Amino acid sequence: MFRTMERDPESRVFGFRAVDPQEKTTLVRHVFDSVASKYDLMNDLMSGGVHRLWKDAFVAEVDPRPGQTIADVAGGTGDIAFRMIRRTGGGARVHMVDLNEQMLRVGRDRAFDRGILEGVDYTVGNAEDLPLADRSVDLYTIAFGLRNVTRIDRALAEARRVLRPGGRFLCLEFGKVRLPALKAAYDAYSFSVLPRLGALVARDAESYRYLAESIRTFPDQPTLARRMEAAGLARARWINLSGGIAAIHTGWRL
Amino acid sequence: MDDAKPAGATHRVDPKLLEILVCPLSKGPLRYDADRQELVSEKAKLAYPIRDGIPIMLVDEARSLDA
Repeated sequence: MFRTMERDPESRVFGFRAVDPQEKTTLVRHVFDSVASKYDLMNDLMSGGVHRLWKDAFVAEVDPRPGQTIADVAGGTGDIAFRMIRRTGGGARVHMVDLNEQMLRVGRDRAFDRGILEGVDYTVGNAEDLPLADRSVDLYTIAFGLRNVTRIDRALAEARRVLRPGGRFLCLEFGKVRLPALKAAYDAYSFSVLPRLGALVARDAESYRYLAESIRTFPDQPTLARRMEAAGLARARWINLSGGIAAIHTGWRL
Repeated sequence: MDDAKPAGATHRVDPKLLEILVCPLSKGPLRYDADRQELVSEKAKLAYPIRDGIPIMLVDEARSLDA
């Protein structure tokens, strides 16, 4: 039986707190302003380096080709973009779009440090109102970004709009763990260890508490797949990573 | 806050980027104003700033052309 789902229910929660949608966007921007310079270090500490393996797996699934145009949304500090550029030998064009100017600046500095001067550009923009033309990209990637978007359904519709017919949507995001033993350990870790690490390294426990909570309020794998289909991203599938702690979601604009 | 600063030589806007960018509000075309370092949406009557080579394509950071 079909049940009408409320669209964008996440727009009213910031972590576990109830907020209005406008406030959420502002709060998320603040979180990333606050963590930008320590973001990469924190990811390593928080995940024990596993986020690098997830990102490698993600880019292998994206399988970008020279000549392709790619929108890397919520591209942040460039982890996905730089992997894609390396993989295509610089032959693809990656448009990085992020809500947060500070994250992009950190990303651009990192690109310069690595000698990546071509094939990537940087734009501040919102995933819900992308500043990209209709049917302009072959691939849309969003890694650890969709969770922070205020209106997920609207962002999915925007992804479809900017994709060319035959283009592919790929999302890397935290998922729901199904194994009970793993789930208990993971809960304990993310709600006690994570914010303390955040306090210690980034001096910002609040922001990291938000990150842990936002993972729990994000839709589980089957729900996100349904919502992708509803947004016109067909043949929605997912691949679990590390027992479902993270997942790669894929779909096509037909 | 919209004082027109010339772009530094190291941080110009990439021409390939200008080809694909549209106004996030109207999805209409943008005109590049190199002197003011702005991207102008005639349709939405908004001018989006370019800071240090990075276009800021957010309505709440744009300058209204009506004012």
